[in-house]
Amino acid sequence: MSKNKNIQELTTILAIALRHKIGSIVNQNEIYAQKYAKDAEILIKQAQKVSRRENWNNYDKENIKRILKKKLQYELEKREFLDNKKFNIIEGEMNKVLKLIELD
Amino acid sequence: MEFEHKVSKGSRFNQIYIPKEMKSVFEVGDIVKVKLLKKKTEIYYSENLLKLEDFKEKLIKEIFSHLSIFPEIKQMFIVGSFLIEKVDYNDIDLIIITDKKQENLEEKIYDYLIKKLQLKFHIIVIPENSFLDLLRVCPLTRSMFYYCISDKKFDLSKNIMLDKNHIKFLLMMPEDLLKITANSRLFYDNIRRLITINQFLENKDLNPVKINVRLKSLLGDYLYSQIKNNEPIDEIVIKRLRENIKENLNKIQKNLKDK
Repeated sequence: MSKNKNIQELTTILAIALRHKIGSIVNQNEIYAQKYAKDAEILIKQAQKVSRRENWNNYDKENIKRILKKKLQYELEKREFLDNKKFNIIEGEMNKVLKLIELD
Repeated sequence: MEFEHKVSKGSRFNQIYIPKEMKSVFEVGDIVKVKLLKKKTEIYYSENLLKLEDFKEKLIKEIFSHLSIFPEIKQMFIVGSFLIEKVDYNDIDLIIITDKKQENLEEKIYDYLIKKLQLKFHIIVIPENSFLDLLRVCPLTRSMFYYCISDKKFDLSKNIMLDKNHIKFLLMMPEDLLKITANSRLFYDNIRRLITINQFLENKDLNPVKINVRLKSLLGDYLYSQIKNNEPIDEIVIKRLRENIKENLNKIQKNLKDK
C-alpha cells in the first residue's frame, strides 16, 4: 500500500477514534463514557498498527496532523447530537493521541 | 465479658437483649459500649430474575454488606452475566447510585472490594438523576436492568421516552463498523446493540437472554460463538456482518422517522 493510502487509512481511523473519545467527554454519560472511551482505545490500537507500516518523516507527521484535523472537524460537525463543547477540545485530544502513537 | 446479638425491634426503640446466662455479669446500671460488627443486608430481585444459587446470593450479600460503609452510596445493583450465566461470566458488574457526582468513588470502591474479596469487578458510579434519565431513554440501560439485584426495592418503570439524540449517539459505533475493520467482538457487541435499539423502538421486550437467542438465530451457532469470543474472522464474514448491521440500521432509521 502506498504511503498516501496509509495516511488516508490512518487518519480515517484516528478521526473516528477521536470522535468517540470526544463524544464520551462532552456527553458526560457515565455508563457510556467508559464504553466509548474503550471503543476509542480499540480504534487507536488499530491506527497504531497502520502507523507501524511506514517510517514517517517530519513532513509526513505534519501532513497527518493537518488531514486528521480536517477529517475530525468534519466528523464532529456531522454529529449535531454531540454537545458543542466538542470543538473546544479537538486540539488537545488530537495532540494526546498523536503523542501516544509517536506521531507528534 | 462480651456477647454478640442481633438488634431487635422494640415498640418505641430498637433494642439488644442481654443473654440470660449473662444476667449476673451485665447488671442494670453497668456501662457498656455497643459496636456495629456487620450490617444487615437484604437483596431484592428484579421481577424477571429467577432465584440464584446460594453461593451467588451469599456473595452478593457480602458485597453489599462490605459497601455499606460508604455513606455516599444511595443504592447498589448487580447486573450482567454474573446473574444470567451459570459459569461463563467474566466479572461482576456493579452499578452504584449516588446523590451527586462523586470524584474517585469508583476507584475507592474497587480497591476496597479487591482487598476484601479478591474478585474481578467492573464498577460504574452514576448520580441518581442521570440514572433515572437513562432508564427512561436508553434501550441498553433498560436491557441491562432487565435482570438485576439491588440492596433496595427497584422496579423498572414502564415510563419510556424517545430521545433521538441519545439513539444517534448509540448508533455511532455500528455505523463506523461499516467503514473500518475492527476485532470480531466489536461486531458482536454492536449487532446486539442494534437489535436492542430496534426492540426498544418497537416497544418490545428487552430481555438480554432473548436478544442473545435472536442474535444466535441470525448468525448461526458457529459464527455467534466465534465473534462472542473475539476469534479472528475473514473478509467474507466481515461482509456478512456488515450486511446485517446495514439491515438493522435501516430498520432503526425507518423507526426513528416514523416516530
